[in-house]
Amino acid sequence: MDPLMLGALVGIITTLILFCGMSIGIGLLLVSIGFLALFDGLSSLSLVPELFFGKLDSFAMLSIPMFILMGAAVASSRAGGDLYSALDRWMTRVPGGLVISNLGACALFSALSGSSPATCAAIGKMGIPAMRERGFPDSVAAGSIAAGGTLGILIPPSVTMIVYGIATETSIGRLFLAGLVPGLMLTGLFMAWSLFSTWRQGRATAALIPVSYTWRQRFEVLPRVLPFLLIVAAVLYALYGGIATPSETAAVGALACLLTAVVIYRMWQPSKLWGILRDSTRESVMILIIVGGAGVFSYMLSSLYITQAIANSIIAMELNPWLLMLFINLFLLVCGFFLPPVAVIVMAAPILLPVITSAGFDPYWFAVILTINMEIGLISPPVGLNLYVINGIAPEIRLQTILLGSLPYVGCMVVAIILLCLFPGIATWLPNMVMGAAT
Amino acid sequence: SPAMAERLRVSHQWSTNDVRHKIVEIVAEEVKNADVGLELQIFPNASLFKPNDQWTPLTRGQLEMAVLPLAYAAGRHPEFNLTLMPALVKNHEHAARLNNSEFMEEIEKIMNDGGVVTLVRGWLAGGFAAKNKCIVKPEDVQGMQTRAAGRAFEEMLAAAGASISSMPSSEIYSGMQTGVLDAVNTSSSSFVSYRLYEQVKCYTPPGDYALWFMYQPLVMSKRSWDSLNDEQREALRAGAAKAEAYYAEEAAREDNEAIDVYRNAGVEIAMMDAQAYEAWRELAAASSYKAFVASTPNGQKLLDLALSVD
Amino acid sequence: MSLSMKTTAAKAEAPARDEARDGGFVWLFIRAVNGLSLICGILAAIGIAVAVALVCQLVFVRYVLNASTVWQTEVVIYLMIGATLLGAPYVQRARGHVNVDLLPIYLRGRARFVLYYLCLLLAMVVCLIVAYYGFEMALEAYVYNWRSPSVWGAALWPSYSAIPIGFFVWFLQLLADFLAVATGRDKPFGIDDEEDATDRALRKEH
Ligand code: NA
Ligand code: NA
Repeated sequence: MDPLMLGALVGIITTLILFCGMSIGIGLLLVSIGFLALFDGLSSLSLVPELFFGKLDSFAMLSIPMFILMGAAVASSRAGGDLYSALDRWMTRVPGGLVISNLGACALFSALSGSSPATCAAIGKMGIPAMRERGFPDSVAAGSIAAGGTLGILIPPSVTMIVYGIATETSIGRLFLAGLVPGLMLTGLFMAWSLFSTWRQGRATAALIPVSYTWRQRFEVLPRVLPFLLIVAAVLYALYGGIATPSETAAVGALACLLTAVVIYRMWQPSKLWGILRDSTRESVMILIIVGGAGVFSYMLSSLYITQAIANSIIAMELNPWLLMLFINLFLLVCGFFLPPVAVIVMAAPILLPVITSAGFDPYWFAVILTINMEIGLISPPVGLNLYVINGIAPEIRLQTILLGSLPYVGCMVVAIILLCLFPGIATWLPNMVMGAAT
Repeated sequence: SPAMAERLRVSHQWSTNDVRHKIVEIVAEEVKNADVGLELQIFPNASLFKPNDQWTPLTRGQLEMAVLPLAYAAGRHPEFNLTLMPALVKNHEHAARLNNSEFMEEIEKIMNDGGVVTLVRGWLAGGFAAKNKCIVKPEDVQGMQTRAAGRAFEEMLAAAGASISSMPSSEIYSGMQTGVLDAVNTSSSSFVSYRLYEQVKCYTPPGDYALWFMYQPLVMSKRSWDSLNDEQREALRAGAAKAEAYYAEEAAREDNEAIDVYRNAGVEIAMMDAQAYEAWRELAAASSYKAFVASTPNGQKLLDLALSVD
Repeated sequence: MSLSMKTTAAKAEAPARDEARDGGFVWLFIRAVNGLSLICGILAAIGIAVAVALVCQLVFVRYVLNASTVWQTEVVIYLMIGATLLGAPYVQRARGHVNVDLLPIYLRGRARFVLYYLCLLLAMVVCLIVAYYGFEMALEAYVYNWRSPSVWGAALWPSYSAIPIGFFVWFLQLLADFLAVATGRDKPFGIDDEEDATDRALRKEH
């Protein structure tokens, strides 16, 4: 069979299998086993465990469970609430300080925890009631937290970026750097929209009145959050300075965050430590099983020459690069509506990367574009993870309000993608400056 | 006709600019022109299998061909450690003589018994580079954090007093940049492609005396080979002969190119002399050779066979 | 676990039923498999904790003592792979493997049951196939004494064994899940007919 036809068949069957509710890792294995048995012969099945094992057999992969553990240590402590209070107390003089400090806390906390639902829950539990109380509209209160939570997969450290780095053999440190400025830009766009929307709904007078705190109140929250911020700063410094590999940095960071949680938040009880370890083990296993299944899946695509045929035919079409980028964005957007970011990246990145590079795009810039697409998926129906979390923690806000309130933030992300297309330097300038030009 | 051609998948881990990709292309072209119903489908950049995962599928006929540094399969057949052993091959002429020796016949026999046959033979050379001083004699590596290419080299360098950091080759550059690594031992082509000349002060290339040679043949699954007809085998052999000549020529040229690149980048070039070479060889005999013989049944006999090639 | 319940995976245990009421072999089997998966999960968590400690030790040896690191890299990788595979059945038990549950939510009654059984049967086939060939791989590694190509030269069979063990226990856990639904102890996909996705998220969150 023609590889392109075969590719279409694989695409349809994979979609069907995944929509039936099979877990993603097993679903990918099922499709791979089926097509390998049919087209490469039954004897090729003995390769499956070797490919699965081989995919996980990498030191870089180790940074995934390590960063997840680091995030779990932060997320299970009360650091989220403290971070929120600290920013609130220090930012009150800024007009609209509350929504600004909420988004800032989201950006910081998601950088620490790397988990977007955890961020929504941690910041939103205090932030949403406070914002409503001070007169911010419901749509802004819910939407800003839902959107702010998605920043965790763009602002480093980011498990999504690690998976991309391993799938495409690009430098993880450089990917992290590439995500930093766009992440801050997106935070800025979210803040701008929140303030504009508040003003437009006539709530400005109420919402923008500063609440004052004493200096004592301001300083007393600092000792609780500074250690975590220092750890993150140290982790990023170690990574970008190239002082240690991502896995080494992540392991030391995980240990440091665990110790901080034990010392500052008194989480020394075995049951609490076990809780952190259990949650992070579950999350890591879930992701690594998908990664292993996707390893077998991409071998199947490659062995049947589907990957190469798709790449070659897209390249042969000689599309205008920006038209190509538009199609790729739409494709990623649709995938992101249904699938979690890690699954989209492990399946799509190996196929898309040769197309992207041959069209002259920078792989690090593309990682940022891809990640923002995945962020959109997190706050859009039908499987917008963050929307359900917000609904859970703020039941007094109607789901419809949450949905409509989040929509403008999707708009901010689209604007960010357009800005990145117009000015690729937003993503590439920092890594090029810190680490030298990419090879 | 090409529509009916049986496809042979060829896996390797390098880019399409690499000499090891070019030799596959030569064989592919020759086989295509022979019109014997065979087509080589090349999978570069480890896009089919990871480098270390190629041997087992080759032995079972799940992968038809690969350019494979044979030492990668030493975990399956420890004898293959001899194809990446310090001071066993002196220079490219010596490598050519080794290819036609009884030693290589023995290695080939082990490969055949495992289910793999060799099409194109070839060795690539490499050297040392360091941040602060030149590595010529064993004393020079004392106390250095070193990343070596290959188990036997790690053993020898450790015996010389170096600290060994095992890390993937993709992290060598940043390791050097930040001072995690002081010295690196790898192939000439890697020295160029990883742009280590930006980071090092001194480069010790393979010259008349080279320590580092690695056997990296184009191999084929015996099961696939046995399923071919005489005509197809003849076409593959003809392509292989042409590729082997090109491989040897290119291997020597790459060493010189690396020297030019490093010299132009302002890196000091140090050469190993007979005396230094002998010191390394004695050290290797007391460390790597010894460990090899201890861990390999029949290892002494194979080592003697290899050393007997003049 | 469905995407919409991701955050709550930590809290979502397989629902406890009035087990003692009907007793019997099926009940014993489900209990035993759940226990086995829990043991695997604990081992996986310990594996990850040890891996973190070992990488910190590696960092200390390499950057502070400036000494050789020979075995750490391989040990931590094998620990991570072992933890992943042993953890898989435990995560299955906790409904932690992410899936797309749009169709299951849309379907009602019998259709949802049929879809659930079909998914579980296919998943069981996959686990058995991978476990079978994984066993072959581990056996081959043991018989022929395959080793990692490093100086350390670790034997490969122990880490390879994680594949057949992990996937076989995963198969058992899927079978237990199957039986739990077949005997009315659990709902297919863990979805209650009365709830929609939002209600579920709410229920799990509180
Ligand atoms: Na993050
Ligand atoms: Na979505």
